[in-house]
Amino acid sequence: MLLLKSEKIMNSKQKISVISSILVALLSVILWAFYGFEILTKTSVVTEKKDELFDTVYKVTENKFIWGLDLTLLVTGVSLFIGGILYFILKTKKSSINN
Amino acid sequence: MYKYIFIFVLFFSVLTLNAQNLKVKAKGEQTFTFEDKGGRNQATFYSRTILEDITGISNDIKGSISFDVSNLSKTLKGKLSVPVKSIKTGIALRDEHLASADWLDSEKYPDITFEVKKVNKVVESKDNKVKINVSGDFTLKGVTKTVSGVFTVVYLDENEQTKMRAAGDLLNVRGKFNIKLADYNVNGKAIPSKVSNEIEIEVNIVGNNK
Repeated sequence: MLLLKSEKIMNSKQKISVISSILVALLSVILWAFYGFEILTKTSVVTEKKDELFDTVYKVTENKFIWGLDLTLLVTGVSLFIGGILYFILKTKKSSINN
Repeated sequence: MYKYIFIFVLFFSVLTLNAQNLKVKAKGEQTFTFEDKGGRNQATFYSRTILEDITGISNDIKGSISFDVSNLSKTLKGKLSVPVKSIKTGIALRDEHLASADWLDSEKYPDITFEVKKVNKVVESKDNKVKINVSGDFTLKGVTKTVSGVFTVVYLDENEQTKMRAAGDLLNVRGKFNIKLADYNVNGKAIPSKVSNEIEIEVNIVGNNK
């Protein structure tokens, strides 16, 4: 926060890009938590169903997307990388400050 | 004294013989086919890996089982098969790897099969339910090995409830057994050390005889 407050370190465009990349990274962590901290991302899950006739439980696969740690790390990494690149690209040039 | 021992032995022999029979209305040899289009039938495998445990399911199990109702343990025979490509693990890319030449090679060996050979022991028997230890030939990736496991067989005579599921009498077979991947030349060249060699296979199927 101290870094963000300092005009000398970051201009407004840099602040937006850095904050955006951090928010995207946080959002992916929140999604990971929401989907139950699964390690691998899945496109279907195993669910149990009761067979009343034979009084037994059987398993079936259902199409359901699960946000895993692998995707969380990928999204976090990419968003922080892009945020970092933008931080340098959007850096205010010294000559323009002097003018 | 010998008389009492003889009666005691005879009593338990009769009980044991009785235990091998299913107490149902049907008589003689019955053949059940397993081709459930509703996705109820399943063959499941469980494997431990470094990252997380894998559960693979196929709801495309097919085959038939036949036996004489009066003597299931001596007459049981049948064969079940599962297409390799029907196994779903929850990750599409992993399913592709599983079916690839590095793992189960579905192009060359499209099916995994289990053929019942003999009933080793009747573990438990009650009315229309029998728990048996069965040996059979398990074929994976072109390699056949004898495996054994405990299976529960439940026989339901046709009634109003069973008719809603399928015509004829219904048979539920469920049980599990273990295999070692190395026995079937499944080494997983790409990531050999990440998957456990020991795999548990579970079957839970319902078939009908009409």
